[in-house]
Amino acid sequence: MAQLVDIESLIARVALGDRKAFSTLYDQTSAKLFGVALRVLNNRASAEDVLQETYMKIWRRADRYASNGMSPMSWLIAIARNTAIDRLRATRDSANLDDVSNHLVASGPTPEQSVVAAGEAARITECLGKLEAEKGQAVRGAYLQGLSYAELAEKFSVPLNTMRTWLRRSLISLKECMEQ
Amino acid sequence: MTSTSDTPEDGILAAEYVLRLLSPAEEAAFEARLTLETHLMDYVAFWASRLSGLNDEIAETTPPSRTRRQLMARLFGPIEPLSFWQRASLWQGLSFASIVLSGFLALQMLQIPEPTLPAGPKALLISEISAEDQSLRVLAIYKANTNHLEIARTAGQAAPGRVLELWAIAEGAAPVSLGVLPEGANTSVILPEGMSAQLASLTLAISDEPPGGSNTGAPTGAVLAVGQVSEL
Repeated sequence: MAQLVDIESLIARVALGDRKAFSTLYDQTSAKLFGVALRVLNNRASAEDVLQETYMKIWRRADRYASNGMSPMSWLIAIARNTAIDRLRATRDSANLDDVSNHLVASGPTPEQSVVAAGEAARITECLGKLEAEKGQAVRGAYLQGLSYAELAEKFSVPLNTMRTWLRRSLISLKECMEQ
Repeated sequence: MTSTSDTPEDGILAAEYVLRLLSPAEEAAFEARLTLETHLMDYVAFWASRLSGLNDEIAETTPPSRTRRQLMARLFGPIEPLSFWQRASLWQGLSFASIVLSGFLALQMLQIPEPTLPAGPKALLISEISAEDQSLRVLAIYKANTNHLEIARTAGQAAPGRVLELWAIAEGAAPVSLGVLPEGANTSVILPEGMSAQLASLTLAISDEPPGGSNTGAPTGAVLAVGQVSEL
């Protein structure tokens, strides 16, 4: 991730309304964010739409980046992921159309400093590897595909409450592992 | 809140929040707590950064080029292939009169290929939007054939970390945003439906706004420059 610094300064310029920086940021990051949306939505047309919505949010909220403490790429991915999950849920349950909340992105300053992405990748992979295979897959399914408890329960053919218990226990183990 | 099962401890609740496993009601309740209880934000940050390690598992896929085009058009309006202001940067610093004259001649030239067009507004509608002390000067010329305002900033700029937003004010009505002015000196904006008819009586104004522009629909910062639209 040699371009981390570049992305950070691009976001800073986008926050000042710099359209050229915005174009460059799109060119450098859209393939990743499109991958994120595709993974969640599994539909090219929706993913294209969500990608546009994601960058519209990035254009409007770039000024909030500096205060949120995440690595720049993680921040962009979080916006794409949340936008895609919002879309997924809106299509699945049109009653919740207005529930497009800002999530992480709108949150205020966090004390957590940004972390080197490579280290994080190794750590989470290692800790997920210590869980039973299916439980690790459930956490991955929730994060990468935005699966809900109900969908996870169906996917792994267990009752909903069992899935809840499973996943919460897995999260507790993960937390302990990652805090070491 | 409406959870049927026992609510887990906050550190795990935060993970469920980041993973988006909470129901909309639980999500809203958690977000309400987040604004008040700072320790929750620490948990959210912990999970967000740790789970972001999984981002490496997502394959990059290049989106089609139309997505980029549509996005830019949605955000910044259609791109004008032939904008005479783009060639006008050397006019900065010239007198207002010479800019108007050049603009007028340019418009005349643009009209030559279509001499039999049905009669539109004949008069050239222009506005000089300026600060009292001339620290900010923006010139707007209306192009009837495309319903665009060509904008050229000839003096001044946005304060560091701020942007300039252009507003149209019809008589007795609330200001309508015409968009944030780009960093560059020249741009072009589309007039909203119905506004071109009352163009000759419009006031244009520029306000100082946070990046991305006002999010209230009305100017939030100081009004830096004002100009009447007039016929030439």
